Amino acid sequence: MTAFLQYVVTGVSDGAAYALVGIGLVIVFRTTNALNFAQGVYAVVAGLTTSVLALHMPIVLAALIAIALTTSIGVVTGLITIGIRGDTTPLHSLIVTLGLTLIAESAELLIFGDAPHSYASIARRAWNVHGVRVQPQYVLLLGVTLAVTLGLTLLLRYTVVGNALVAASDSLRAARLVGIDTVTFGAVAFGVAALLGAIGGVLLTPLVPLAYDSDLNIAVNGFAAAAFGGLISVPGALVGGLVLGMAENLVVGYVNPQYELTIALVIMLVLIGWRARREGATA
Amino acid sequence: MSATRLRWGGRAALAATAVALVALPWQLSLPDQSLYTQMGQYAIVAIGLSLLMGFAGQVSFGHGAFYMLGAYVAGVFAMRYHWPTLATLVLAPVATAAVAGVLGLPLLRLRGHYLAFATLAVHLIFLSLVFAWGGVTGGEIGLIGLPKLKIGSAYPAGATYAAIVWALAVAVALVSLALVSSRAGRALRAIAANERDAAAAGIDVAASKLRLFVLSAGYAGLAGGLYTYQLQYLSPDAFPVVLSVQFVVMIAIGGMGSVYGAVFGAIGITLLQHELSILGTRPGMPLQAPKVLAIGAFGLILVVVMLFFQRGLLPALVDLTRRIVPQLAAAEPVAAAPSAPGEEERAAEQRSLHGPTDSGADG
Repeated sequence: MTAFLQYVVTGVSDGAAYALVGIGLVIVFRTTNALNFAQGVYAVVAGLTTSVLALHMPIVLAALIAIALTTSIGVVTGLITIGIRGDTTPLHSLIVTLGLTLIAESAELLIFGDAPHSYASIARRAWNVHGVRVQPQYVLLLGVTLAVTLGLTLLLRYTVVGNALVAASDSLRAARLVGIDTVTFGAVAFGVAALLGAIGGVLLTPLVPLAYDSDLNIAVNGFAAAAFGGLISVPGALVGGLVLGMAENLVVGYVNPQYELTIALVIMLVLIGWRARREGATA
Repeated sequence: MSATRLRWGGRAALAATAVALVALPWQLSLPDQSLYTQMGQYAIVAIGLSLLMGFAGQVSFGHGAFYMLGAYVAGVFAMRYHWPTLATLVLAPVATAAVAGVLGLPLLRLRGHYLAFATLAVHLIFLSLVFAWGGVTGGEIGLIGLPKLKIGSAYPAGATYAAIVWALAVAVALVSLALVSSRAGRALRAIAANERDAAAAGIDVAASKLRLFVLSAGYAGLAGGLYTYQLQYLSPDAFPVVLSVQFVVMIAIGGMGSVYGAVFGAIGITLLQHELSILGTRPGMPLQAPKVLAIGAFGLILVVVMLFFQRGLLPALVDLTRRIVPQLAAAEPVAAAPSAPGEEERAAEQRSLHGPTDSGADG
């Protein structure tokens, strides 16, 4: 039972990070109809930058600078993806974000090298709850994720800005007719997504060291979380991330750790497949 | 302009090009022969991916994985189960297509680009399975000392092997051209223009997309099998995720939906990669330089082409040439790519679908 609870706790923590990335994907998809392949890059850039800056300054300051830097990178990726040419199709946008991902990876490799980077968690000591090790970092990650989910759900549902964001994805032309500047909103959406990804990356790096090419795994897991809610639901992405994280840790714990990545990805494919059946049934 | 409407002059030019592509290896030095063989294998993959992106409007980040699957199917069955090498070369595309069918069945029914992420996941899964199943695949070390391809009593190598690969590439191109101008191809074209209209006309959109996905995966499997017998050595290092991306870059160059463009893109990107690796390993360059250069160049190509030359770099260049030298237009019968398909309905509501040039699109 203790082992089971340990897997669940670790899983919830991993899942919270997936959820943050997944929510970023949802925000961009809802606003621009584009799938942002670079969503994993934000987490990696923030994590790597923090790890290097932390050598010269307090970790909190390093993290804040890294998050601010990543958010502005996010706005730039948004402007390039949807701003320069205006109406790119979703397929073209997806490939543009893939290209931006590669450029980012190339720069990261040049600046940070190919070794994984990490730094100390906020607290060295872990709590012991009836034999289950709970790191304060887990609690922080989950708490931030829950706060973000709640905040964004309320923002999208009850504010003018939120409704405008959603309207833009329903029909770009209609949104423009009622005076919504879709490019600005798109850039804002990418900025928010980058902010979320950066927070996730900064909180995740002490638990899972990140390297320049970790973004692919993060993006795929984040996509699985987002797919759980059909790419449009913020709470759906939260639930999807948590389910994915727990399922991964349970299967890896009880079956075979050698297959960790494989199992994680197969679970993701099954989740998407399940989603496909549901969507197929209603369509 | 479709293949059926090519005039006799065009057909003769096409046939001459095909013969030249197959006969070229005997004119090349040994290292160039090996590079040329690789181009042929990549061309086979790129043709399939181009059709998928152009007509189904879907992108796969996993064609490198299908290439890898074909390579390992051929290698493992030849080495562990002692199948005749020629039989494994038939099995490779069939097995790969079957895997793609199982995978694509749920994914191609979804809105959005689920296939892109799922195929990327498949690439990561295949890579980790190669490591995990070391007893079969040789793991990190790989499969060393694979048998040579045996056709009849001959063991083709060097120029002959390159010619075989390119003969198959030409065959794949011809099959694909025939497909595009067939009844099934017209259905695909209708889907590319507008999915909802196509469905209303009685076309099974999901099934058509699935068949195209399976076909393109089969092509990749065939190319993978050919790769296995080119080197008689397999290791997971040869199939990084960036290989899957590389195929997408080839399509960006050649234009989505274009068979000729895919071949052109495969040749161009293989050459570029070759030159970059020479540049990156020059003395004085940092250790990571080859990788930094390759990834950076691919990324830059994708961004620039997808934003400014949405129909592909080659079609844009052809248009430009025609505008500058009008008399060339008549003399260049095979260079025209099918007009850009794959635009989705959201774009269709904003600009005309088959605009004459993409530089004229509203900004």
